[in-house]
Amino acid sequence: MAWKFDKILHSLTDDAQNQKARQLWEAESLGGITEDNNRLPQAVVWLLGLTIITAFLITFPLWGQRPSAAIYQAYVAEMDSPEVAAASDDQARVQAIVNKVKAQGGQYEALQERHPVEMDDLRMIKDQVIELQNAGVDLEEYTVVGNRVVLANFEGNIKADGTKQRKQPWWDKGYTIDIFYVIYFCVAVLIAIKRLPNFAWQPDHHKGH
Amino acid sequence: MLKYLFARNEDIPHGTSAVYFGISSIMWFVIGTGLGSFNAAKLAFPDFVTGSELFSFGHMRQVHVMAVIFGWISMAFAMAMMYITPALGNTRLWSEKLGVWNCFLWNFGLSLALTLLWAGMSSGREYSDFPWFIDLVILFGIVAPLGLNVWMTVLKRRTQGIYTTNWFFLAGTFMVFIVLLVGNTPEYFQLTGLTEAYLTWWFAHNVLGLWITPVAAAIAYYTIPKITGNPLYSHRIGHLHFWSVVVFYSTPAAHHLMSAPLPEWLKSFASVEGVLILVPAIAFVSNLLLTMTGKWHYFVDNVETKFTITGVLLAIPLNMQGGFQQTRAINWYIHGTGWIVAHAHLALLGFSTFLEGAAVYYGLQTILRRKLYSLALANFHFWFLLIGFSIYWISMTIAGLIQGAGKIYEVPYIDVVIAEHPYMIARWVGGTMVFTGNCVWLYNMWMTARAGTVIPAGRLPHELAYER
Amino acid sequence: MAFREYKIGARLFGLALGGSMMITLYMPSLNIVEVASTETGLRKGLSYGRVGGFSVEDPFLQGEGKPKTVMLSQDPSTGQAIEPVYAYVYEAGTPFTSSIRHPRILGAGVKDLSLEQGRIGEANQASGAVFVVAEGSWNGESVSYIENATATRNWSPDAVLSAAGDANTRYIGSGKIMFVREGCWWCHTLLPEETQDWQVFGVPPRLGDYNSESPTAFGSDRKAPDLLHVGSRNSSREWMMMHFFNPRLVQPHSIMPRYDYLWGDNDAAGNRIDFVQWRNEYNAYVSGARVYPPEVPEPAADSEARYLIDFVLSLK
Repeated sequence: MAWKFDKILHSLTDDAQNQKARQLWEAESLGGITEDNNRLPQAVVWLLGLTIITAFLITFPLWGQRPSAAIYQAYVAEMDSPEVAAASDDQARVQAIVNKVKAQGGQYEALQERHPVEMDDLRMIKDQVIELQNAGVDLEEYTVVGNRVVLANFEGNIKADGTKQRKQPWWDKGYTIDIFYVIYFCVAVLIAIKRLPNFAWQPDHHKGH
Repeated sequence: MLKYLFARNEDIPHGTSAVYFGISSIMWFVIGTGLGSFNAAKLAFPDFVTGSELFSFGHMRQVHVMAVIFGWISMAFAMAMMYITPALGNTRLWSEKLGVWNCFLWNFGLSLALTLLWAGMSSGREYSDFPWFIDLVILFGIVAPLGLNVWMTVLKRRTQGIYTTNWFFLAGTFMVFIVLLVGNTPEYFQLTGLTEAYLTWWFAHNVLGLWITPVAAAIAYYTIPKITGNPLYSHRIGHLHFWSVVVFYSTPAAHHLMSAPLPEWLKSFASVEGVLILVPAIAFVSNLLLTMTGKWHYFVDNVETKFTITGVLLAIPLNMQGGFQQTRAINWYIHGTGWIVAHAHLALLGFSTFLEGAAVYYGLQTILRRKLYSLALANFHFWFLLIGFSIYWISMTIAGLIQGAGKIYEVPYIDVVIAEHPYMIARWVGGTMVFTGNCVWLYNMWMTARAGTVIPAGRLPHELAYER
Repeated sequence: MAFREYKIGARLFGLALGGSMMITLYMPSLNIVEVASTETGLRKGLSYGRVGGFSVEDPFLQGEGKPKTVMLSQDPSTGQAIEPVYAYVYEAGTPFTSSIRHPRILGAGVKDLSLEQGRIGEANQASGAVFVVAEGSWNGESVSYIENATATRNWSPDAVLSAAGDANTRYIGSGKIMFVREGCWWCHTLLPEETQDWQVFGVPPRLGDYNSESPTAFGSDRKAPDLLHVGSRNSSREWMMMHFFNPRLVQPHSIMPRYDYLWGDNDAAGNRIDFVQWRNEYNAYVSGARVYPPEVPEPAADSEARYLIDFVLSLK
C-alpha cells in the first residue's frame, strides 16, 4: 500500500512495490494466459471523452418533448379567421391554420410541426386554451393530451421554492447526479490504473514460462 | 450424469460438470430457437396451428425467451465458468459434485418452470415471468450453488492473481443474485403500481446488463488470448471495462420507461447513464481487437476465433443502438416497435450467443480431449447462425421503422400490420435458419464426444484443426 | 488497489453497486411513494382485486378469487332508485386489493378520506365487502376516495349481486387474469406514450393511475393497437366476441391468434359448441364456397371469453 505522489501521471505506487508487481506480473501463469501493460490508446481516451460529452448533449429533451398548450395558442387564434371559415372540410381548415401560423414563424415552429393536431381536437381545446389565456397563466405549464388541456406534470421535479416543475426542464437533479457519478468513476479508474507500473514498462512473458 | 450425483467428489473426473452444462446448453438452444421459429411462424401466418391453448402465441412467446436466457445463455455461462474459472487459477473446480448437482437441478427446475409457464402460470411481468416460488427456486437452487462454486474456486486458487475473466465471473454471479433477489420483490411482497412497473424493468435491464453482457464479454477475454497465444493487450483497459460495467450498466434501468409516468429526473439520469454504456463497450472491443494483433488469420481459419470476433464486432452496433435509442430524442420514435425486438436479438442472439458458442465449442473439445468431429459442420453452423440472425435483425429493424412512422403519422394500425407482413415472413425465415444451424451443432458436438479424434496430451484442440 | 491486490477493489465494488442501487431504487421510491391515486387508479385497483398474475388463491390463472364489478341503479338495502354507481363486490373470502389492506399506498389525502369517511379500515375480508368510489374534498381540492359501502350504507355483497343481476355484473378482475395468462400484452400495450402517441390511442396514463394494480403489464413490443382506452373507441360486445373467436371475421388482415378455446365446451344457451364444424364452415367461407361466415356462438356467462371481454370493455 505504498503510495507516491510526486509524479501522479507516471505511477501512484512507489518503486519498491512496483518492482514486486513487475516480478509477479512476469512470473505468474494464469492458466497459460498473460497480460500486457499497454496504455489506454489515445483514440480510446478521446472516444471516452466524446462519449461523456455526447451523453449529456443528446439527452437534453430537444426532441421528444410533450406538447404544451402554448404551441397551440397561435392555432386557436387563427381558428375564426376568414380563410379557415372558407375552407371546405376539416382537413383543409387545419391546413389553412397551419399555413397561416407557419407564415408568422415564431419560437414554437418546430414543436408545432412535431405535434400535429386534428380539427376535432382543436375545437375541444379551443375554449380551454382561451380560458387559461384569460386567467393569465403561463400556457407552457399546461400539456395537451388528446382533447384535454391539463396542468403539466414532470413528476418528481421540485423547484427550489418547493413548488412543482411545470415546464419541460432541460436540466434537473438527474443530470446533477450524473455529473458526480461520472467524476467519481473517472477518478476511481484513474487511481486504479495509475497504481500499476507505468505503461512504459512491458512484461517479458518469456521469463516465467 | 446420474451415476455421478452420488459419487464421491474425488471420483468425479475433472470437467464433468462443464461437459454436462455444455451439452445441456446446446439442447436448450435447440429447444429455445425451435420455439422462436414456431412463434415467428405464428406471427407471419396467424392461422398456423390454431384452436389449442397450448400452442397459442401468448403461451409460447415467454417460454422461448426464458428457454434461451435461462437454458441456453445462462447454462453456457455455467459451462464456461466450470472450466475457465479453475483453469485460470491453476486449480480444480471447488466441487465437481456440486457442479453436477447444479446442472441436474438446473435442467430439472427449468423444465418444470417452463412447463408451468407454458400452461399459463405467469406473474405477468416481462423477463420475470416466472411466479415467485419459481424465482426462489432459481435463486437458491440454481444461481446460488453456481456462484458458490465459482467463488470458492477463485478463493482456493493457486495463483496470486485473478485474471480479468474471473473478475467478471465473480461479479456477475454476485450481481445476478442481488438482481434476482431485489427485482422480484413486487412478487414476494405484492408491490403494486409504478413500483411494480419500475422494478420489472430494473430487473430486466440489470439481468441483461449485469449478468449476460459482462459474463459474455468475460468469455472473450479468455478465448482470444488462449487460442491466439497473444497476451491480453492491456490489463489497464480491463480495469476500465470492469468498473464501467459495474458503474454505468447498473444505473439506466429507467430508460426502458422513457415515455411512461415515472419521476422525470430519473429518466434524465438514466438516459445519460444509458449513453455511457458505450464506455465498457469501447473498452471491451478495443482490448479484444488489439489482442488479435498479428494473429488475424485465426479469424479466418479458426472456428472459435471466428465466433468470438464476430461477437465482439457485433458489440459495436449493439451498443451504438443501446446507447442512443433510449434518449428522448430517439426513443419517442422507436419505442415499443420491432426495432427493439431486433435490438434484443442483436444482444442475445448476435453479441452474446457468438461469444458463448466459442466457449462451448472450445471447452467441450478441451475437456473431452477430442477434436471437433467436423469442421465443415461447424462452419455451416456459424454461417447459418450469422445469416439467419442478420435476416432477422434487418427485417425487424425495418419493421420497427415502419411501426415508428405509423405511430408518429397516425396511420391506422391495420395498415402498419399489412406493411409489416413481408418482414414477419423474413423474420421467420431467419429464425428457422438459426434453428437449423443449431440442430447441426448438436449433432456435431454429440459426434465429437462419441467419435472425435483423440487429442494427444500437451496439444491444444485448435492446433490440430487441420490435421487428419 | 495495487497490482493483484483485491481488498480495496472488493470494497469499491460494494460501494459502486450500493451507490447505484441507492440512486436507482431508494431515491425514486421517495417520489413514487408520494403519488396520490387518481379516480382511475382507484377503480382499476378495486376491480382487479389482489393480484393480476400468479397468486396462491389462483395458481393456474383461472380467474378465481377476484372481485366482481356491478352497475347498481337501486339501493340494495332500501330498494330505492339511486344514481347509477359502479360497486366493487368482494364476496366472503375474496382477497382484498392491496390498497384496502395497506391504505398507505393510496397516497396522501386519498388515504385519509378513505379511512375517515370511507371507513375502509372496517372492511373484513372473511365476511366480504362492497366498495364504491366517492368524491370528497381534502385541503380544498376535490379528491376521489374509496368508500366501504358495507359499513357506510349497509350493502352486503350478496344483496348487491342479486340487486344488480348478471346483466349488470362484469368479471373485470377475472378478465385481467385472462389478459395476463393469454399473453394479450405481448402485442397490445397498455401505455400510450407521453410524446406523440395520444392522437390515436388516447390520453397517456397519469402518475396515480396504477396504485394498487399489479402487474401493470405496460407491454414493450407493440404489434397491435394500444388498449389502454379501447373501451372508449369500441364498446361493442358483439364486435369483441367475433374478434376474439376469430379476428379475421372482423379484420381480414389481422395477425391476432384465435381465442375460440376461451369459450369452453358450451355456449350461453348450454349447447355444445362444435368447433370442427365451425372451422369447416369458416374455411368454406374463406374459400368462397359460402357467402356468410358461420355464426359465432354466444359465450356462456361463466366462460373465460366473457371474462376477457368484460375486462377489455372496461378499459375506458
